[in-house]
Amino acid sequence: MHPVLARKGETVLLMGNEAIARGALEAGICLAAAYPGTPSTEIVETLAEVAQYTKTYVEWSVNEKVAFETAYAAAISGVRSLTAMKHVGLNVAADILMSSAYAGVKAGFVIISADDPGHHSSQNEQDNRWYGFISHIPVIEPSSAREAYFYVKEAFKLSERYGHPVILRSTTRISHTRQPILLEEDIPIEKACKGSFERVIERWVLVPGHARKLKSKLMEIWRKIQMETSEPFVKIINPGMKTVVIASGIAYSHVSEVLNLTGLDDKITVVKVNMPVPLPRKPIEEVLSTAEKVLVVEELDPIVEDQVKRISLEIGSTSKIFGKEYVPLNDELSVQAVYDAICKFLGSCSPQRWESIGDIKTDPPIPPRPPVLCPGCPHRSSYYILKTSLNRAGFRNVIYTGDIGCYTLGYQKPFETQMTSFEMGGAIGIGHGLSKVVDELVIAIVGDSTFYHAGIPGVVNLVFNKGRAIPVVLDNSVTAMTGHQPHPGSGYTATGEATAKILPEDVLKAVGFETYVINPLRVKESVATLQKALEEFKKGKNIAIVSRARCALEVMRDARRSRVVLPVYRVDPEKCTACQACVNLAACPALVVDPNTRKPVIVEDLCAGCGLCASICPYKAIQVSNTPSSEWEKLW
Amino acid sequence: MKERFNLILSGVGGQGLITLGRLIGRACILAGRNVTIAEVHGMSQRGGSVVVHVRIGEGESPIIPSGAAHHIIAMEILEAGRTARYANKDTVMVVNDLILPPPLVKYPSREVVVESLRSKIGKFYLYNAEEVSKEITGSPISSNIALLGFSLSVNPLFEELIKKADIERAIEDMFKGKSAELNKEILHRSYEAGRSRLGG
Repeated sequence: MHPVLARKGETVLLMGNEAIARGALEAGICLAAAYPGTPSTEIVETLAEVAQYTKTYVEWSVNEKVAFETAYAAAISGVRSLTAMKHVGLNVAADILMSSAYAGVKAGFVIISADDPGHHSSQNEQDNRWYGFISHIPVIEPSSAREAYFYVKEAFKLSERYGHPVILRSTTRISHTRQPILLEEDIPIEKACKGSFERVIERWVLVPGHARKLKSKLMEIWRKIQMETSEPFVKIINPGMKTVVIASGIAYSHVSEVLNLTGLDDKITVVKVNMPVPLPRKPIEEVLSTAEKVLVVEELDPIVEDQVKRISLEIGSTSKIFGKEYVPLNDELSVQAVYDAICKFLGSCSPQRWESIGDIKTDPPIPPRPPVLCPGCPHRSSYYILKTSLNRAGFRNVIYTGDIGCYTLGYQKPFETQMTSFEMGGAIGIGHGLSKVVDELVIAIVGDSTFYHAGIPGVVNLVFNKGRAIPVVLDNSVTAMTGHQPHPGSGYTATGEATAKILPEDVLKAVGFETYVINPLRVKESVATLQKALEEFKKGKNIAIVSRARCALEVMRDARRSRVVLPVYRVDPEKCTACQACVNLAACPALVVDPNTRKPVIVEDLCAGCGLCASICPYKAIQVSNTPSSEWEKLW
Repeated sequence: MKERFNLILSGVGGQGLITLGRLIGRACILAGRNVTIAEVHGMSQRGGSVVVHVRIGEGESPIIPSGAAHHIIAMEILEAGRTARYANKDTVMVVNDLILPPPLVKYPSREVVVESLRSKIGKFYLYNAEEVSKEITGSPISSNIALLGFSLSVNPLFEELIKKADIERAIEDMFKGKSAELNKEILHRSYEAGRSRLGG
């Protein structure tokens, strides 16, 4: 049984995202919709895994905006719902976010924004608490994975109390931390899953006349939330001291550990903030009335700090308020960073509390291990095929625009086939724009999931506005990077039901492209096809390419389960001349160079049998070393 | 709050570090210990550096400061070198005798990294976990459990918090039938290997 389904009173080890899923189920949600994105993915992934037991409708939508709309529609009809996305995903859904605050909800509605301080897997580390201000939607921020479970339930209560959407801001360090969680309640068996839509035109139709009235109501709700909320959203620990530390979200956990280790916990008032936007007014006024100096500790932007300073000014407090003078504005906080900040604020602690042996020095130094395309990844072959055929067709200095996904790793040597990567679907728009202003050929590379997410409007525009970029869809039939969630080309839904399979080539053809589909496992055949396609492009046709083979991780998993033997390649040291063409052109992690002979060796446990290295080798020194099952290729 | 027991797990994506973290977490629950397990990894599923921070005891902050680790389990030699900064002079370090170089780069040899670590860390152990895993299961997939078994027997501070029996029960919870039996055997064999290493 999935640990998320355990009974009340049990202690289960849950990651923050699973804890959020469990809390939402306890709160009685009946619908969840999301687009996968690290670090948010496991929230809806978990809900999908247990959907049939909890009788919850769960979907992977084509993008965050659609996911938001789907979940919001349930909430305005009286069905509790949730949508989840990574921080940048909320940018995609920002339009409906703003409107949802005006119209409000009829049942609890929580938007989870999983932010990524430290850029672990994102193009930026934006602080999504700002969205609370521009939309006038309160933002709840848990301090740990365990608290995420508790606060998602509080978020639903808050949402229902005010008939208003609520944002729960998690961060990577909360979403991807596991803790034992004592389950306080069972998942309700009876819950409202049938909504009824009330035809209240002046609420749901935001024409200016209606919106003006709704905005006044929104301002009233906003003011009430500020004035009426305190515990559990703000808690004052050890009140009445002259020195105060105010900490929001996970920063509180670091502060608590630092004060404990330094033995300062009974000398300082700590204000634990779990609703940074809007900051509950009364508890802060109370603290400022006696404080002499205050340090605000929070991750990224000075959201709480600015509000504290403003409240202080308004009530005429004489407290000295510090924050970003001592606490970094970028990157994740940690015990170490908070220790340093508190020491500087108090002007007293020894700088070296943890005596590290330091980094070890070796010659050559330990190399960084940047993320690489997996062994057997079909994108590796696609890039090789693309570059080879463009070269043979006489295209020089090709510009490759790129997108978000595993294949972004094509920016690395030896491929260098992703020269831009801004946002989902961006490859095509950027490619189109560049094709209008440069002489070189522009190749716009997008993944399959990204194509559905935001690429389709781009390809429509490309044809409509006569751009000359060539769209290439790298199709592994799944949203691979976030852990294999289905999308409209997969043929099944979040809960595994069979459904329509919408192929990128059909969309591209409908839009007006002559579309060529290649199998990247067949290198020679694919190069020939692309050369033909490029000739058509030279004649002025709109061409598009779809390169299709399944994600190697899925193929290897299926091979293991169905006991299909995949080919394993081996380098024949007799034939190998140590030219290293395979290593330099494929950059496969399964190819390791023997430091003595300089000849590559294939790590058998890693080889997925794609055969790219064998087709590159000019000396035919790489060959299949086992007897693969006859039907192995069908798995790809 | 007493200082928590800080355990670093490091290696390469795909080696089973996340599973190892979950297994230790489960064992902590069975042993009645509080625990916080933070998974720190980049964007790719495979091939990147992965560090899991396991903090046993009361407290919520997930990340271990540099120099504050009581124990480090490294599943690969270059990653062991990279996580040296979490070690202090009293840290116990158990390293899998395996080197997986990233593609297209120069890298130091196994001996250079091992010697450098050995010279700075008093309690440094190199253990061939792949060998025992392959011998019992036919694949290197359970090397993570072998390193855990070995670690437990060479670090009394660690064993004080969770017992071998807690890990056995956690294995039974997380694996089924034959796989649970084989993993328990790996745990036992590696635990004994640690014992004899201490003795010798």
